[in-house]
Amino acid sequence: MHDVLILGIETSCDETAAAVVKNGREILSDVVNSQIDIHSQFGGVVPEVASRKHIENIGLVVDTAFENAGLSYNDIDAVAVTNRPGLIGALLVGLSFAKAFAYALNRPLLAVNHLEGHIYANFLEHSAIELPALCLVVSGGHTSLVYMPSIGEYELVGETRDDAAGEAFDKVARFLGLGYPGGPAIQKAAQKGEPGKVILPRVFLDRNDFEFSFSGLKTAAMNEWNKLKRKGLANVNDLAAEFQAALVEVLVEKTMHAAEQFKARSILLAGGVAANQELRNLMKKRGREQGLPVYYPSLHLCTDNAAMIAGNAHINYIKNIYAPLNVNAYPGLIVPVKSTCG
Amino acid sequence: MLITVHSEEEMISLGGLLARVLEKNDVVYLRGELGAGKTTLVRGIARGLGYAGRVTSPTFILMNVYPADIDIFHFDFYRLEGGDLGDLGLEDYLEKEGLSLIEWPQAGAAMLPAEAMLINIELVEGDYERERLVRLSGIGDRYQAKVEEIKRLC
Repeated sequence: MHDVLILGIETSCDETAAAVVKNGREILSDVVNSQIDIHSQFGGVVPEVASRKHIENIGLVVDTAFENAGLSYNDIDAVAVTNRPGLIGALLVGLSFAKAFAYALNRPLLAVNHLEGHIYANFLEHSAIELPALCLVVSGGHTSLVYMPSIGEYELVGETRDDAAGEAFDKVARFLGLGYPGGPAIQKAAQKGEPGKVILPRVFLDRNDFEFSFSGLKTAAMNEWNKLKRKGLANVNDLAAEFQAALVEVLVEKTMHAAEQFKARSILLAGGVAANQELRNLMKKRGREQGLPVYYPSLHLCTDNAAMIAGNAHINYIKNIYAPLNVNAYPGLIVPVKSTCG
Repeated sequence: MLITVHSEEEMISLGGLLARVLEKNDVVYLRGELGAGKTTLVRGIARGLGYAGRVTSPTFILMNVYPADIDIFHFDFYRLEGGDLGDLGLEDYLEKEGLSLIEWPQAGAAMLPAEAMLINIELVEGDYERERLVRLSGIGDRYQAKVEEIKRLC
């Protein structure tokens, strides 16, 4: 069988990204044109700016992906693109580009769920992941526990009832004046502080289910900050450390609990918040205690990228499950319950 | 009108009350600082309109749709900061047969309809553990009439 080369395109939020991946495993090129500098001026992602910048970037980003891989357009076997979930205007830039590209080259189009792509990032770097796996997908828009019985199969077992973990990081960081993006800002402050000097709640940890809630933790952190400021005792680093500890502890314990209940043989971290060092360390430690291997992608594959999209698309490519050229983009669709991707 | 809300449960109940007067094509602006309880009030309205599913913060995704007795479009413009709403397709939603609940409307003010129900949720002395003051007002005859109706129901 000949090698399968898939071009991946990702424009669901901040990043314009393109990549070429061989056989769903080997990254030949991985280009990300981050828009984060533009957005940091605004304190978040501005969709109109996002779409316009995607349009400006996408041609160059795709060409660079081919150039870095040493390939020409006709060398690829299929075009894969994120079509959900994300900012609709941003998604449509990538989707329209991918459709035109696939049509012009007469190659199949593959539509990829962004969250499944994040989970797949683990399979790009780790060759022997034991299945079934329990996946924690944590980002600005999502906090989901996903059971993965076999490759390409996903079952949503729990998610947040209010704010996503990354959203809580962003909002608290902004409230504390630490800047955007909030995850790295809080992690940096937390390294200089000490958890436990102020006490924040571990929300839902006492519940015997896989639901998360971070709105209450966000509010508690902001309230504590207001009180400390009034008393003149405000130490932003200690509060950042306690906030991070409270959030990470809930993520880790819920994941361990789900892994046990679903008899998972490994744990996978995915999404932008999976870049958090405290989350990685505590999950590893608890995994060791339970005899469960813990996998996470390297930092550049935690954040949005197109290699994970091209990689994930290989699952459907070999099954000949293609997307029609009239496939749509969807803003708010999360991991489908008990279904295959596509 | 001013309503004092002492707990999350009371905020949900207030949402249930609002759900009795809100209907298709209505627009509601929800203002109040981070953590004031805007999404909780939206959850209460959605529950009142028969939707039992998840009502989560749309901050990242910008909007959620809940198939309640009438469709609810839950917007959150927190991250827009006065940016252009052109790519959201907002006007398409406002023309659809649904109830639009909009958090952080100030960010998209230029593109939003002038007439709406305005809900301000305020903290007392910046203390998140204390009660919330919820101010309801109607901009335009249609919404002023709805606020009067809520007063009668209270």
